[in-house]
Amino acid sequence: MQQKKGYVSFVLHAHLPFIHHPESDDYLEESWLYEAISETYIPLLTNFQKLVDEGVNFRITMSMTPPLLSMLDNKLLQRKYIKYLKRMIELSEKEIKRTSNDERLNRLAHYYFDRYSNDLHIFKEVYGCNLIQGFKHFQDIGVLEIITCGATHGYFPILYVNEKTVKAQIAVGVQTYEKYFGRKPRGIWLPECGYVPEADKYLKEFGIDYIITESHGILYADPTPIYGTFAPIVSPEGVIAFGRDIESSRQVWSSINGYPGDYNYREFYRDIGYEADYDYIKPYIAHNGVRVHTGIKYYRITGDTEFKDYYNVQWAKDSAEKQAGHFFDSRSSQIEHLSNYMETPPIILCPYDAELYGHWWYEGPYWLYILFKKIYYDDCNFELITPSEYIDKYPNMQISSPCRSSWGANGYSEVWLNPTNDYAHRHLHVAGDRMCELANLYPDAKGLKKKALNQCARELLLAQSSDWLFIITNGTMVDYAKKRIKDHIGRFTKLYYQIKDDNIDEEFLKDISKKDCIFPEIDYHIYQ
Amino acid sequence: MPKKTKENDELNKGKKVTKKSSTKKATTTKSATKKASTKEASTAKSATKKASTKKATTTKSATKKTSTKEASTAKSATKKTSTKKATSKKKSSIKGTENEKVEIVEYYDLPYRYNQTIVKTLAQTPTTLFIYWDISDKDRKDFENQYGENFFQITKPILIVYNDTLGYKFEIEINDFANSWYLHVADSKCNYRIELGRRPIQKNENINVDYIYITSSNKIESPNDKILFDPNQKMVYFRNVKTNVETSKSINTLSFIRNMGKIYDIYDLYKAIYQNENIEEIYDNSNPSSSPSSRFF
Repeated sequence: MQQKKGYVSFVLHAHLPFIHHPESDDYLEESWLYEAISETYIPLLTNFQKLVDEGVNFRITMSMTPPLLSMLDNKLLQRKYIKYLKRMIELSEKEIKRTSNDERLNRLAHYYFDRYSNDLHIFKEVYGCNLIQGFKHFQDIGVLEIITCGATHGYFPILYVNEKTVKAQIAVGVQTYEKYFGRKPRGIWLPECGYVPEADKYLKEFGIDYIITESHGILYADPTPIYGTFAPIVSPEGVIAFGRDIESSRQVWSSINGYPGDYNYREFYRDIGYEADYDYIKPYIAHNGVRVHTGIKYYRITGDTEFKDYYNVQWAKDSAEKQAGHFFDSRSSQIEHLSNYMETPPIILCPYDAELYGHWWYEGPYWLYILFKKIYYDDCNFELITPSEYIDKYPNMQISSPCRSSWGANGYSEVWLNPTNDYAHRHLHVAGDRMCELANLYPDAKGLKKKALNQCARELLLAQSSDWLFIITNGTMVDYAKKRIKDHIGRFTKLYYQIKDDNIDEEFLKDISKKDCIFPEIDYHIYQ
Repeated sequence: MPKKTKENDELNKGKKVTKKSSTKKATTTKSATKKASTKEASTAKSATKKASTKKATTTKSATKKTSTKEASTAKSATKKTSTKKATSKKKSSIKGTENEKVEIVEYYDLPYRYNQTIVKTLAQTPTTLFIYWDISDKDRKDFENQYGENFFQITKPILIVYNDTLGYKFEIEINDFANSWYLHVADSKCNYRIELGRRPIQKNENINVDYIYITSSNKIESPNDKILFDPNQKMVYFRNVKTNVETSKSINTLSFIRNMGKIYDIYDLYKAIYQNENIEEIYDNSNPSSSPSSRFF
């Protein structure tokens, strides 16, 4: 057996914005949650369970954001997910009949039927509709470390002009975590990895030990960290920062030669939602008749061609296994090399969007499963570790201030602050200031006023979600994102005046409290 | 802050819609009343909204009585019964939702301005600041009272950029049609603040100064954008995060550097540990994790 010379730490960031529309079934955006459950969260849980069943000792870290937790815990969304699954099972049954003349296609139709049926079984019978408990279980048995995130994924480098709003993002993030996991989080995924040193004191106040930063959050830190991203640093305020490894990121993410581009992998963009006969597929696409992804995809990437071959599950698995081997070898040689220069064992931090695994890279969860098995069984010079375990083992670290940074394009704030979305910031700032004003004006509010103040806090937090700004920049679903900013700022502002006028419209408050029902236990005093 | 209590013209009033899913139809009642206040300007619109992801067609109408202090747009919405039918049908099939519910149909627009005297700045990149500003109606009036009614015609707006780290300042001329600006600055990792002011376009008997201060911004530090290879860095400081004991080591005594023999500073060390990367551009901005490729949206 080789001596262990270093560590690899996987961090998957699981996040979706809070999308909850009890008032209508017409919002396509609600289906992001259902797709993520079927394609990412259930496959991850299933693979974790397989590893545990097979006696594989592994470690993984996941951030589960408060909006995602709130949605996974929401009874209406749970019912809607079951409805979604039943519709998908119905569609795959029809597909089995429709493809009966084509053996290869028919096998795939059966595959989808089995998969969605299995999802329904796992969701209802295994997890009692509560996937949070599923993840909590793996944390409780010590293979998964769950960390928190800002309350609604508010982007700190823009919010911090009013530090109280950053404090509230952190406070509610920590409180939500405690509610679901029964303990305090040790780490936080800063929304968009957006780091500002002004947040450090609040992170410490709420007991956060460590953050994840983009590579240059460490490399451009002051003074320069002598081990680069291969060891954590601690800020003068006492927040520990782990930086993303460049080399391993590129292997997984690269759009040119990254793993997900393998020709045997499932082609994301070919979906029967776009390709099947319109009248046939109509009941399964958007209510307004617009063709959308259904999740049933029959082709593999094949190559740089429009003529795609059918997907072959076994071939895809073969590729995933080959790539897991490549990743394994790459990390081994990286650690072998690095250990020559370091006094403590290097840590290679590999953070990714969780939804990359399964949703975009369909075979991602299987790749992870194979990789973790290899690391456990093969002769290997490294181990998997969580950031917390690394801190506990190697608590001596260089003091350095991480660089203000994010993991957005070009590494700073351009994604969340550019001419397409900069109109929003003054509204977010004013609402933040007004929330603090209200909290200080009414420190002892009771009854209806207290409810209204707490709802104001929810509306502000929901408006601050970095996702709306991102979507506007990205140019997809822009109308929805803009509407969400307008709705939350609008509701906030209306309530703000009603509170100050002592003229709260109870019916209005009740209605928006039902729609924007995130964080039922929120306490507006966090803005004092 | 306005002291009057009618400022909520900044937004519209929601309308109450009673929906009975048992009948699978929606009945809509319109009401949009604007309250009176004397200071704020508001606009009312009649428009048709089409949300990209929602098929419901919405018509809006609003009546405006008087203006209020903060500029706003007010609209009220009525959902067409025909498009709500589909929604109601779907809803009735979800167990646990009420058969009859009262729902406020809302439509909001963001206020055009908040009528504050303000200048704020954010760092978009290490060398680009985003700045937005406004001058309240009251302050505008005060300037006009002090310097004459044509104060805003005979002066031009400027921003003074202070670099407090390197101790220099410069000013740029903006214009009265803009309310925000992207500004290139030369130095990353510096503290900046912005001052909003005005300068007379030409000598004027009412204005005998060459600069009128209006307001100052928040202070920000622009991000760092390079590896700080400091040749003067001789010591490295460590902290044991369990015990909080801090220690220091001379770079030259760190064993890995000593053992390497030929490595004398951090620059060389980075070259060694990042063997597959270009040390001068060690952060690859085209890295796909920085792109939306893994998002749902």
